[in-house]
Amino acid sequence: MRRTTQPSTAVRSQTVTTVRDVENTTALVSPKTPRGLVLVAGGLLVALTGCANEKQSTWNPSGKYARSIDNLQEPIFAAAGVVGLIVITAVIYCIVKFRERPGHDSIPHQSHGNPKVEITLTALSAAILLVVAVPTVNTLFEITNRPKDTGLEVTVVGQQWWWEFQYKTPGTEGIVTATELVLPIKTKVRLSITSRDVIHSFWIPKLNGKRDAVPNRVQPLNMEASEPGIYEGQCTEFCGLSHANMRQRVVALTAEDFATWVANQQKAVAKPAADTLASKGESQFISQCARCHQINGLVDDKGNPQNSKADEQLVSGAAPNLTHLMSRSVFAGGKFDLMIKDGTLLATECKNATAPTAAGQPTGTVNPDKCLNRPDLEAWLRNAPSVKPMYAIQNKDKLYRGMPNLNLTEAQIDELVAYLKTLK
Amino acid sequence: MAIIERPRELTAPSVISPKQAQGNFSRPVQTTGWKSWLFTVDHKKLGLMYGFAAMFFFLVGGTEALIIRIQLAQPNGKFVNAQLYNELFTTHGTTMVFLFVIPMAAAFANYFVPLQIGARDVAFPRMNAFGFWCFLGGGLFLYLSPLLGGLPDGGWFAYAPNTGPIFSPSHGMDFWTLALQITGIASLTGSINLIVTILNMRAPGMKLMMMPVFTWMILVIQFLLVFAIPVITVALFLLSFQRLFGATFFDVKAGADPLLWQHLFWLFGHPEVYILILPSFGIVSEVLPVFAQKPLFGYKFVVFSGAAIGFMGWGVWAHHMFASGLGPISVMVFSITTMFIAVPTGVKIINWVGTLWGGTLRFTTAMMFAIGLIVEFTIGGLSGVTHAVSPSDTQQTDTYYIVAHFHYVLFGGAVFGLFSGFYYWWPKIFGRMLDEKLGKVNFWLMVIGTNLTFGPMHIVGLQGQPRRMYTYKAGYGFAGWNLLETIGSFIIALGVATFLWNAIKTNGITGKKPRTAPLDPWDARTYEWMTTSPPKEHNFDSIPVVSHLDEFFHRKYAEDANGNMVKVATAEEILADQIAHADKHIHMPSPSYWPIVLAFSLPIIALGLIFSTYLAIFGGIICVMAGYGWAIEPSTADPSDFDQSAGPSTEVALHV
Repeated sequence: MRRTTQPSTAVRSQTVTTVRDVENTTALVSPKTPRGLVLVAGGLLVALTGCANEKQSTWNPSGKYARSIDNLQEPIFAAAGVVGLIVITAVIYCIVKFRERPGHDSIPHQSHGNPKVEITLTALSAAILLVVAVPTVNTLFEITNRPKDTGLEVTVVGQQWWWEFQYKTPGTEGIVTATELVLPIKTKVRLSITSRDVIHSFWIPKLNGKRDAVPNRVQPLNMEASEPGIYEGQCTEFCGLSHANMRQRVVALTAEDFATWVANQQKAVAKPAADTLASKGESQFISQCARCHQINGLVDDKGNPQNSKADEQLVSGAAPNLTHLMSRSVFAGGKFDLMIKDGTLLATECKNATAPTAAGQPTGTVNPDKCLNRPDLEAWLRNAPSVKPMYAIQNKDKLYRGMPNLNLTEAQIDELVAYLKTLK
Repeated sequence: MAIIERPRELTAPSVISPKQAQGNFSRPVQTTGWKSWLFTVDHKKLGLMYGFAAMFFFLVGGTEALIIRIQLAQPNGKFVNAQLYNELFTTHGTTMVFLFVIPMAAAFANYFVPLQIGARDVAFPRMNAFGFWCFLGGGLFLYLSPLLGGLPDGGWFAYAPNTGPIFSPSHGMDFWTLALQITGIASLTGSINLIVTILNMRAPGMKLMMMPVFTWMILVIQFLLVFAIPVITVALFLLSFQRLFGATFFDVKAGADPLLWQHLFWLFGHPEVYILILPSFGIVSEVLPVFAQKPLFGYKFVVFSGAAIGFMGWGVWAHHMFASGLGPISVMVFSITTMFIAVPTGVKIINWVGTLWGGTLRFTTAMMFAIGLIVEFTIGGLSGVTHAVSPSDTQQTDTYYIVAHFHYVLFGGAVFGLFSGFYYWWPKIFGRMLDEKLGKVNFWLMVIGTNLTFGPMHIVGLQGQPRRMYTYKAGYGFAGWNLLETIGSFIIALGVATFLWNAIKTNGITGKKPRTAPLDPWDARTYEWMTTSPPKEHNFDSIPVVSHLDEFFHRKYAEDANGNMVKVATAEEILADQIAHADKHIHMPSPSYWPIVLAFSLPIIALGLIFSTYLAIFGGIICVMAGYGWAIEPSTADPSDFDQSAGPSTEVALHV
C-alpha cells in the first residue's frame, strides 16, 4: 500500500490545463463523429457485434467513462477501416492491373522509387496519427482524473479467484461484499483497486476500461452507471488456475434502492431460533466455515464473537464475507447464480410480497425460499474444488488457495443451506 | 563506417582440404553421415538444422493451438481441464515465439546472409554451431518438463508474482526460465556472429547500401537481439533465483513491486515483436521485386524505416501495460510513441505496394504469400494502432481483440513471410522445385484459415471475451464465433499439412520424379542466386565483385540504346564465368566436436539447478572441459594458411 499512481498535484493541474487547450482546437475529431461514417467504414464489425449478445460488450457503454472511450474508439476504428480499405484496394488494383499477361515478355521499367510520393505518404500517415493522438490524450485524462464530485468510494480487492468490495464513504462504512459491487446510478464512484496475492484486473466493460489489481499498489478507477441494471465483467489478468471463473458484476440501483440496500447491509444478522435446522446450520458454520468466512456479529452459543482467521488458512488471507449473502445474485466468484438458474433476476416469482424495486434488483427483497439455486450451492458445499478448479490441498506453509473440500455430510449441507438462507 | 565500407582484397593461396589435425586433440573430418551434421560448422547445414528443428516445434506449438481451439469450440468445454489449458497456452506462446519464429528466422539468416553478401561462412563458425545446439537443447529441455513435474503454467509472459514459488509450485516455470535462458544464449551468440559477418565479410564492392534488404533486416534484428536478450536474461535470473534459491525479487510479502517484472519483460518483449516480424519483412522485400520484375520501391526508405523501427521499438514497451496502473503521464507518453512507430511500419507497406505498382506481376506461391502478408499485416498493423489509443486499449487489452491483433501480425505477417521464403528459396536450398499447384492450395487454405480463425477474434474481443480462459459461459454471444475460429484453425492445419506433403514430395518418395530446379527459376535479382543450387560447401568458386544493388539482375540485364532493359547474360553464363575464375585455394573452417558438447552441458546444469546440485556440478565440469577443448583444439589447416603477408582476408576470420 505504499505507492499510488497519482501524479503530484502540481503536475496534474498543469496537464489538465494543457489538455483543455488542446480540446478547444480539436473540434474536427471531437467525439461527435456521425454514426453514418462509422457504419460505412467499421460498419461490418459494428453490425456483427450489434446483433449478438451484449452483456459484456465494449460497444454499448452505459456510463460516462465507457461512453467517452466509445466516442473515441468508434471514429478511430472507422479511420483504421478506411486506411485498411485503401491499402487493400491498392493491392487488388495492382493484382488486376499489373498482372503478367500472355505474350508480355519485356520487363517493366526499373523504377527505384519516387521520394516525393514516399515523403508525402509518410507525412500524411504521421499527420493522421497526430490527429488521433490529440483526442486520445484528451480522453485519457478525462477518464483518469479524480472527479471533483465523487459520490462514493469503494476499495476493490482481488484475490484468487474472487473480488472483495469495501465501502469507504461515510454512511456506507463497514459494508463488505464479494463479487457483486452495488452502486447508485448517476453517481461518480472512485474505486481503489488492489490485490492480496497475484495480479488481477477489474473490468466492467459497459462502465469503464480495466485496471489491474496489483499487490502492494492501490490504483484508482472511475465508474459511473447511467441506468439501473446489472453490468457484468470478468477478471482480465491471468491469475492462475481458475482465472476463467473469476467474475464480477456491478449492480446499479436508483438512489432510493441503494439507500434501502445500504440500510439492509448495515443491519445486524439475526440469530436463528434455537433448535431449528438453521440454528444447527449456524453451529456447523461456526465449526467449519467461520475459520475463513466472516459474518459480522456472529457469536457462538456462549456469546463469544466469531471472527475469521483466514490469514491462518489461505494464501491470500481472505475469504468472502457472507454477512448478507442472500442479498447477492451470484456466488463462488461469480461462477454460479445464487438466486435462479437462468441468471435473470427480474422474474417476479423471486420476489416477496413487497413491491419489486424499479429495476427489480436484489435489494433484500429476494425470497430465497422460492429462488435459491440449491443444486449449485449444495454441490459447492459438497466439494467446492470439483465444481470450480482451486488448489484444494495445503501448500508447504499449510495454506490453501481457494476453498477446500470440507467433506460435509448431506445432513450438514442441509443445515448449512438452511442457515445461509437466513443471511438476508 | 569507413573501415567497414572498404572493399577487401581476396587472397588465393593453395587448396587445403580438411585432414587429420596435429596435436593431441583431433577434429572431426566426416563430410557425410550423421557425424557430419552433429559436428558441422557449415552455415548451410546449421541453417537447415535450424529450419527442421523450428518446423518440428512449429508442429508442436500448432498442435497445442488446435487443442486450445477444440476446448474453446463450445461454451463450458470439457476437452482439457483448467490446469492443462493454462499449460497449453503457456507452451503454445513460448514455443511459437522462442522455438519457431526466432529460430526459423535464424535458419534463413544462417543460410542466406553469407550467400547474399558473398561470404563462404559466418565469422565464427563454431560459435554458430554452438548457438544452434543451445537452441535445440533449450527447446528439448523445455519439453522435458511434462516428464519431470509438469509443463509451465504461468503464461509466456510469466507475470510475477503468479509465477513465483507460491503460486506456481510445480517445476514447470523452473524449466521455462532455464530453457529461455539457454535459448537466449543461442540468440545472443547468433546475433554477434551475424553482425560481425555482415559488417566484415561482404563481397568486394558491396557497400552497406548495396546489401539485399533481407540481409539489412537481419542486421537490424541482430542489434535488437544483442540489446534485448540481456534484459530478459536479467529478468529470468531474478525469477529463477526467487524460485530456486529463495530470493525475494518479486515476493510481494517482502515488499516487492510486481511491475518490475512487467517492465523488464516488455522492455525485452516489445523489441522481440520486431525481432519476430522484421525477418519476414526482409523476405517479402526480396520476393516482391523478383516477381514484380522491378526493383524494390524506395530501397533506402525500406532500410531506414527498418532501422527506425529498430530504434523506436525500444520506446514503446509500456503499451503492454496501459491497464497496469502506470499513471496517466506515462500512459500518454507511451501512447504517442506507439502511434508513431506506425509511421515507419506504414512506410514499408507503402513501399511494397509501390513495388507492385507498375510491375509485371507473376503470381507464384512465394509472391502470393508475400502479397498475403501485405494485406494481413496491414489489418494487424491497423488494429495495433487502435491499441496505441490508450483509453480504448483499456477496453481491449487482455481480450481476444489482442489475440486477433498479434496473430494477424505474427501469423498473417511473420509466418506468411516465412512461407513465402520457403517457396522462394526452396530451389536454392534443395535444388528441387516445390509443386506450385500444391503451393497455391497451401496458400489459399492458409489465407482462408487465418481469416476464419483470427478475424472473429476481433469481434468476440470487442464483445468482451477475455483471453487465457479455459472456458466461457454460454449466453454472451461468444459461442458461434468461437466455433468458427476452431474450424478456421483446422483449415490452417490443413494448409500446413499441404506444405509438408509438398516438401516431402520433392524428395521423390511418391515415385514421381521431383522436378530439378533450374539455376535461376525465378529470374532473381540478388547475389545468392549466382551460385549452384544447392550451393557448394564453399558457396562460391570465386567471389563476384559487386557494383550494384541487385547485382545478379544487373549482370543479366542491361539497358539498350532505347533505354529498355534487355537480357545480356544467362545465369548459366554468369556461373560458368565464376567457375572459370575459381579461387585456387579455398580454406573452409573445420568441423568441431566441442560446440555440441558445450551446448548440451547447459541443460544438464539447468536440470541440476532444479533437482540436484551434484548434477549441476557434473554439468559444470563438462562445460568447463568443453570450453578448454574448444580453446585448444588445433586447426586442420596447414600452417601456410596463416600467412598474413597477403593481407587481411575473410578466410583468417573463419578460424576464430
